Amino acid sequence: MTELLPQNQIDSFKARAAAIAHPHELIVDLLRAIQSHYGWVPDDGVLLTAVTLGILPVEVEELATFYDKIYRRAVGRRVIHVCDSICCWSTGAEMITEHLQKSLGINFGMTTADGAFTLLPSCCLGACGDAPAMMIGLTTYGKLTPQQIDEILLKERAAIAAAD
Amino acid sequence: MPKLTIDNLQVTVAEGTNVLEAARALDIVIPHFCYHEALGAVGACRLCAMMFVDGPVKGLQMACMIKAQDGMVVSSTDPDAMDLRRHVIEWTMINHPHDCPVCDEGGECQLQEMTVAGGHGVRRYTGKKRTFSNQNLGPFVQQEMNRCITCYRCVRTYRDYCGGSDYGVFGSRNRVFYGRVQDGSLESPFSGNIIDVCPTGVLTSKPFRYKTRLWDLQEAPSVCPHCSLGCATVPGGRYRDVQRVRAGINRETNGFFICDRGRFGYDHVNHPQRPRQARVDGQPVMIDKAVMAARQRVAEMAREHGPNSVAFLGSSRASLEANALLRDLASTTGSTQLVFEAHHGRDRAARTLVARLGEHARSQEDIRQSDLIILFGADPLAEGPMLALAIRQAVRNGGRVVVIDPRPVELPCAATHLPLAPERLPVILTAFGRGDLNAFDAREREFFASLIEQLHSARRPIMVGGADLLGDKGVDALCSAAAELSTGARSVGVMTLLAGPNSFGGGLLAGDGPGFDTLLDAVHEGRVHALVCLESDPFREAMDPARAQAALGRLQLLVSIDATPSLAARRADIFLPARANAEMAGSYINNEGRLQAFLPVIDPGLPIRETGAGNHPPREFFQETPGSAPEADWWLLAQLLERSANLAEVRKTIAENDEVLAGLLSITTETTGLRLTARGVMPLSAEKPPLHAAAVGILTLLVTTAPVGSHWLAHLSSPLAATEPQPYVCLHPDHADALGLVAGDRARLTTHSGHCQVVIRLSAQMMNGLVLTPQLWDTALEGMRPGSLLDCRLEKETKA
Amino acid sequence: MNAYPQVLFKNRRPGETVLLSEYEKAGGYQGLRTALKMSPEEVSTQVKNSGLRGRGGAGFPTGIKWSFFPVDQPGEKYLVCNGDEMEPGTYKDRQLLLADPHQLVEGMAIAAYALQTPVGYVFLRYAYEDCSLRVERAIEEAIDAGYLGKNILGSGFDVELHVHRSAGRYILGEETSLLNGLEGRRPVPRSKPPFPARSGLFGRPTNVNNVETLATVPHILTNGPVWFHTLALSPDGVGTKLFGLSGHLNRTECFELPLGITLREVVEDFGGGVRGGHKFKACLPGGASTPYLTAEHLDVMMDFDPLEVVNSRLGTAGVTVFDEHTCMVAVTRNLNHFFARESCGWCTPCRDGLATVSWLLDRIEFGQATMDDLAMLKDQVRNIKGRSFCALAEGAMGPVEALLRLFEDEIKDHIKRGGCPFAGK
Ligand SMILES: Cc1cc2nc3c(=O)[nH]c(=O)nc-3n(C[C@H](O)[C@H](O)[C@H](O)COP(=O)(O)O)c2cc1C
Ligand code: SF4
Ligand code: FES
Repeated sequence: MTELLPQNQIDSFKARAAAIAHPHELIVDLLRAIQSHYGWVPDDGVLLTAVTLGILPVEVEELATFYDKIYRRAVGRRVIHVCDSICCWSTGAEMITEHLQKSLGINFGMTTADGAFTLLPSCCLGACGDAPAMMIGLTTYGKLTPQQIDEILLKERAAIAAAD
Repeated sequence: MPKLTIDNLQVTVAEGTNVLEAARALDIVIPHFCYHEALGAVGACRLCAMMFVDGPVKGLQMACMIKAQDGMVVSSTDPDAMDLRRHVIEWTMINHPHDCPVCDEGGECQLQEMTVAGGHGVRRYTGKKRTFSNQNLGPFVQQEMNRCITCYRCVRTYRDYCGGSDYGVFGSRNRVFYGRVQDGSLESPFSGNIIDVCPTGVLTSKPFRYKTRLWDLQEAPSVCPHCSLGCATVPGGRYRDVQRVRAGINRETNGFFICDRGRFGYDHVNHPQRPRQARVDGQPVMIDKAVMAARQRVAEMAREHGPNSVAFLGSSRASLEANALLRDLASTTGSTQLVFEAHHGRDRAARTLVARLGEHARSQEDIRQSDLIILFGADPLAEGPMLALAIRQAVRNGGRVVVIDPRPVELPCAATHLPLAPERLPVILTAFGRGDLNAFDAREREFFASLIEQLHSARRPIMVGGADLLGDKGVDALCSAAAELSTGARSVGVMTLLAGPNSFGGGLLAGDGPGFDTLLDAVHEGRVHALVCLESDPFREAMDPARAQAALGRLQLLVSIDATPSLAARRADIFLPARANAEMAGSYINNEGRLQAFLPVIDPGLPIRETGAGNHPPREFFQETPGSAPEADWWLLAQLLERSANLAEVRKTIAENDEVLAGLLSITTETTGLRLTARGVMPLSAEKPPLHAAAVGILTLLVTTAPVGSHWLAHLSSPLAATEPQPYVCLHPDHADALGLVAGDRARLTTHSGHCQVVIRLSAQMMNGLVLTPQLWDTALEGMRPGSLLDCRLEKETKA
Repeated sequence: MNAYPQVLFKNRRPGETVLLSEYEKAGGYQGLRTALKMSPEEVSTQVKNSGLRGRGGAGFPTGIKWSFFPVDQPGEKYLVCNGDEMEPGTYKDRQLLLADPHQLVEGMAIAAYALQTPVGYVFLRYAYEDCSLRVERAIEEAIDAGYLGKNILGSGFDVELHVHRSAGRYILGEETSLLNGLEGRRPVPRSKPPFPARSGLFGRPTNVNNVETLATVPHILTNGPVWFHTLALSPDGVGTKLFGLSGHLNRTECFELPLGITLREVVEDFGGGVRGGHKFKACLPGGASTPYLTAEHLDVMMDFDPLEVVNSRLGTAGVTVFDEHTCMVAVTRNLNHFFARESCGWCTPCRDGLATVSWLLDRIEFGQATMDDLAMLKDQVRNIKGRSFCALAEGAMGPVEALLRLFEDEIKDHIKRGGCPFAGK
């Protein structure tokens, strides 16, 4: 996973940007594409986005630093977003967080030593009926209990191992 | 014109004025941060709250966001409005460090003023403050982000107004950060404006850092000496040092901003080699002694060899008053050997412009309001940077820009570019003016046909010329074209970039006298024996410096009046030290014929940082301030004329003698200046071409100016040193290809005056087949004269 | 168990998504067929007569909004569906899109016709990848079936829909921020006027509606505006509404219920009562920005106007219930942290004011506050509410204001005890 984005995707973004009147509208799409391929958006990713779309790097960075789901710092293979908004908080999000922190051995904002997980708090995930909830990658998990979390983490670790 | 009531006072304002400005018209200042007259209203800071009591809008509103309307009744003292303003200040102060004692903004901090005005006095928040790491933004701007109150003014100035591309706003909520994507020098040539607009100490001047508490700084309204546009500035000085320049406000010229050359070019005043001592025959003497000696020797020379054996050379750097007195001195002496510009081309172009401009003259404000701007051989960023900014505003308002120039003219806005050989510009202008496109090839014909069409549908078109490239013929053709293309309903404007702050003044005074090359011939032939030089350096400014040096070496008497370490000052038999423009009152006439006055900021004197050499100043006691001898240029000339050296009287005499300059009686620094309506006289037509160079190759070299490095005063300013380029030439990529050169290559450039090493730059906007190089002071390219076309050779340097 | 008429959820089956064939079998795309037989104005009139109010939180009558739209203006015009749904307690649009996404596609086709906006965007939040995939599939199916694309159903009208996936941040739900977001500019709100209908996406006329609003439109076209009026229970109410239940209830699910249903019925019959046999203390009736209701409001009708009478709002009808052991200072603190963190940073009252309120609530909750802090909290609310650039900070003040109005004693108790009276309970 050393390349930021496969060349064919870069080319396709370039073609789309050239075909539309406002290439800026592809900034978020392209940042997300880089993130899903590379894991996060390094400085070079900002630059690549600017070059591909033919716009200024600063215009890309202005967005990359605004959106909280664009990672401008290195993260682990999976980012765990624990919801800390009202519905989850009122149904035990703090306990869930504590469990996650203990079993991963990290605090919010940190990545596990093996590089597998980064733990971040998140605002409401739109899973209020299934509170407490968390999101790993783009998958939402609800009605969490410590046990379930253990199982989910095991599953995710296995998936990471399988991918390597 | 809406009429409204604010705090029980009635006011009528222009349509479209916002209520904050309407209140200001009544001297009611509503605190505000994000609003700025030049930037407009965005309603972000929420500080300018006023209560709309009655009329078409009701309730608490942001005064900046509401346009004044008939029948509005507005209160600035309403308790709710005052409460909100107090709270907004409290919020902006939440994270603001209490580092006022060490903050460079102290004394002109709007946050401080607004805090007092807003009535927030007691800190209630005792929590933690947000902290940022700062970036290194280069030599001009110091960043201290912890002081930021997030008013968005800097980014709106840098990106929106100035068109900069490397500064932005990052993050969100109360962690918004302004800066670059990565550390590095700000790239915009207008970067320093963010220092002025930042209401607090986030963005301050790096060269000015830790120099002076602002309440100790002496300031006065001035006019920038770094190009012909005549932008308003406010220099500040202390400890016999001019320490900074900020933008002045002149709605007709610069508006609210200035360029970095104007802002950071002040340091020529403090130049360590600046000659401050009067000299006669190499001996330091008191200034009146030197004046007396000069007066006597000039008179002797005239007696001995006839009045025309004494020549006089004025300059676009000197004040209008001094140039006018120089003319008087020549006529008292009885000499007709009087020139106001050593650079032949610039001299003739200025005189032609003054003779032809008339009612076609346009100001920077007119440019900002224009809907079509056509540049003929004008490179604003080099020849008059603020013009580029004015053009950008026109584009932001929907205007269009067309550039016809052999050079890759960079602008902070979109423009259409047609590269064209410089020598064709006058011809093309004439044909363009007449609508006769037969002489053009198909591509050009199409281009100019469409341009004429655009011109006819434009409401406020302006043709901009550059004197260096157009020369007198081009300027003449430009003015003729504007006249021909004007109709009864719509006049086509003209703006021409000249060389110096008072080029227009020189052109006005010059009449149809000889040019400097003719004068050099006279020196060479032994008809002229003495030269009085007013703030000019003919050794280096003449078209052919080698020839000038040879001729001038034969002079029996050289008198130099100067404020800079020029060659003339060094070689003078009699030297009279002059004040810099920040040290004197005086006036210039800018490139549109606008007469503007300026005032002194400090008196001359060796800066304390120099006398103290970084230490405490010497504890010896002198009667005189060291280095304080320089006097205003007009003062020195009045002395030479044995006239009163009181400025008011000097101006009165000049105005009485020449009704064209009657405006001198009434000008003050409080106005936008006075546009002169009088015309000058065309230069004599029968003058020989400036250069008599032998052919040395097959390539054609065009000499131009660079934004920094080509302007003598700016070149003497240390804060700008880092931005001066190394000698380079610029080529079209295809041309370079044919010559076997690539970007970054070192090459040897040979002209009639010798050879030097240059770096190759490429630009696809460049005219193919032409080689471009800037004149650069104190480099191998120093002897190049802007505007000249030379034969040259260009060979790749093989590594030694 | 839900005996009320089901409109949006009539095809819903747990864990499944309705595909085109099934949607058509259940009467899908009849609304579009009906609409295309009318003139665009007639479609708008139908929607206006139905009384449908926007489901995105502000409750602006949809038909009236459409009637302001410059339908005849030449050049590009856009339709945007707001699927940001990031207000805590709100998850109804997700349920709708997971269950039956063709309703949105059909609704957008109808709206596009009514407003003559041939290009539409479905703006979906980052966390809703599941919805994005379903909407994309529905769009593809609709294109294949001729409901989208060129000359839809032979009407001569073209509609193309794009899905835009966002990358986080609540402020994008605010419609002008959303437009900036779609354009790829910093998603801070724009000043209004000009309203999006005049100058919206890329400076062109743009109509923004919520997912649920647009999904309701086909049913109005199919069944007529009068039918829509019969659905509600409140005297002046119209239609059904998706209610997402959350918090301390036995059943925290999303139900389609008639507007005008009482809070009691929602809590007890549909939420199954407060969990663990606890008592109802308070609730957010419509998302994190709506002022609390307490037990005394249990009989209030859940509809736009009745809720305003009791100083609250229907908002998004995401009902979050708190039992009697809940510290309302802590609830408010949690809510305010959310708003402060999601502030876009454009205007001062929100950017720094919400952070100040957070600091005060922290102090109260953790027993560091004095009565001066209470006074300060009050003056903060007074100066943030109605003073910010957009409605985010205004919304943030909803719960804080309600805390001061309904639970001032609880705040004072914190101050007096030097700590939270609910700690450890
Ligand atoms: C801070 C803020 C967040 C909002 N979030 C949403 C949202 O997630 N979804 C939504 O449909 N409307 C949201 N809105 C309301 C929209 O601005 C807009 O009123 C709505 O999308 C219009 O659609 P409707 O009339 O169909 O409700 C939000 C408004 C504000 C001020
Ligand atoms: S209230 Fe102000 S800072 Fe907050 S989200 Fe709206 S514009 Fe941004
Ligand atoms: S000056 Fe009016 S809101 Fe900032």
